Amino acid sequence: MARALWPGAGLRPFGPGPGLAARAARLRAGAAVYRRLAVATLRGRVRQPAGFVLRTLATGLVVVTEIVGVVLLVERFGTLAGWTAPEVVLLVGLGAAGQGLGLVFGDRLEPAFFSEVVRKGSFDQVLTRPTSPLGWMVASYVEVRFLGRVAVGAGAVAWAAERAGVGWTLPRLLVAAMAVACCATLVFAISVLGGALTLYTIEGSEVVNIFTYGGVSLSCYPMEIYGPGLRAVFLWVVPFALAVYVPALVLLGRAGPPGLPATLVWLTPAATALFAGLAAAGWRAGIRHYVGTGS
Amino acid sequence: MSFVSAAQEAHAYLALFRAGCRRSQRYKLALVSGLLTNLFFGLVRTALFYALYREGADVAVRGLDLADALTYVWMVQAMFGVVWASWIWEFPEAVRSGDFVVELTRPGDPWLRQLAYELGRTLNQLLLRSTLPLLGAAALLPLALPTTPVGVLLVAVSMVLASVVAFEVRFLFGTVAFWSSDYRAVFNIVFPVLWLVSGFVIPIDYFPAALRALAEGSPLYAMLMAPVHVAVGQSVAGSLARQVAWVVALGAASRVALSLACRRLVVHGG
Repeated sequence: MARALWPGAGLRPFGPGPGLAARAARLRAGAAVYRRLAVATLRGRVRQPAGFVLRTLATGLVVVTEIVGVVLLVERFGTLAGWTAPEVVLLVGLGAAGQGLGLVFGDRLEPAFFSEVVRKGSFDQVLTRPTSPLGWMVASYVEVRFLGRVAVGAGAVAWAAERAGVGWTLPRLLVAAMAVACCATLVFAISVLGGALTLYTIEGSEVVNIFTYGGVSLSCYPMEIYGPGLRAVFLWVVPFALAVYVPALVLLGRAGPPGLPATLVWLTPAATALFAGLAAAGWRAGIRHYVGTGS
Repeated sequence: MSFVSAAQEAHAYLALFRAGCRRSQRYKLALVSGLLTNLFFGLVRTALFYALYREGADVAVRGLDLADALTYVWMVQAMFGVVWASWIWEFPEAVRSGDFVVELTRPGDPWLRQLAYELGRTLNQLLLRSTLPLLGAAALLPLALPTTPVGVLLVAVSMVLASVVAFEVRFLFGTVAFWSSDYRAVFNIVFPVLWLVSGFVIPIDYFPAALRALAEGSPLYAMLMAPVHVAVGQSVAGSLARQVAWVVALGAASRVALSLACRRLVVHGG
């Protein structure tokens, strides 16, 4: 992952990489460039404060309506697979916070937008710049408005934990933070894979949204309700269950169903890192494949 | 206007309708990814309702039993692409860029022209993207769809009426662009509320009484829940009557909004 983010990574197809000191210097210089790009983007957004505030509120409001829906639904029936409404809201909150954080960086790699960048030939210009193409795309299109979703997600986690009787200890806080970070990484990694796919197909395909939005939306409910097929895909292929459901088991002190014990939480960081690595490889393959889209 | 006969005008609307149909047939990849998305979300929600009804074993909750709930799930998937059409931004963008002015110089009525074109696009969606998941689900799951020809016809009529109302809602929303160039921010803030009240999150039958009354009294009822109720056979005549009433009312509102907007329309550029 980190390699692809280094400036110049996309322009170094031949020969061995530079030495360690040179790499460190590059990384520092790169970080400064990305910070400046991101700040410039942010300043542009804040130029119309009313619109910016509305957009940020809106990303949070979507989660509020989802939570209202889940609470109304589960309370009509009493419980969902043995989970009470606050316990389900804990899942929704962790997923929403993670998704919001991932979309801050990954939103503009989504097919509808990125495919336009590619089709217009703007991506050719990105490739000529002395930065990594991925780093440039992320830094210049950072979408701060999704922090609204992170805030509502975190609020939902706090509310649900209180209702479900979860006392906050340091290990539990760390588990919650890790869940959000891993979910965010997965959402970002899927966006990167979607971007790589767009470099192949040029015409963007919304199928990627099944995973960016669908994966999180599936994680809103306890995994007990799904059949073995869906469970396996979201546990071992795109490990959203490890990033949201399993940490929630730990927070709630639940043992988990057969085949999906809470102790799997130890695998969460490694599985997330592995998936991120795959996404990085996919992106590099996409860049190598890309041949431009004409004049 | 005077030298265009009514027949010629009708012919023009029909041509636009066909053009809309052909246009959405072109996007095969979009159709396939749309279907896959419908399938995925439909599966997740199916699992959800199976789990919920297992808890309450065989009882109707707020008038909906498992078969009704599953019918709701797949009707949501059928109507999603029709109601929140992927081309929702085209009209406000044309207003913002000034391209819409050209529409005002064309013969006939700009609102009817847009209605004809969008219905063409929508009908194509209804025939493929809506029917396929619904038929697939009906074959594999215990849905509560009608089995008589008249019943099926009524569901189809209700879905078409829902697409007209959805067009009118999108059109009214699009006229926001005449007043604010930041219509996307406005839409983003309004959308979650529309999403919940129209019943896309959960069936409005599960809402608390006050919220349910609001949802049933609003035009949003005609976009999703009316076809659902017609499909499961709950107050069929009432739902269809409400849909017809909203088609007329929102149509009138759209035309008022458009004439107000044109009065204050300023075209930049030369």
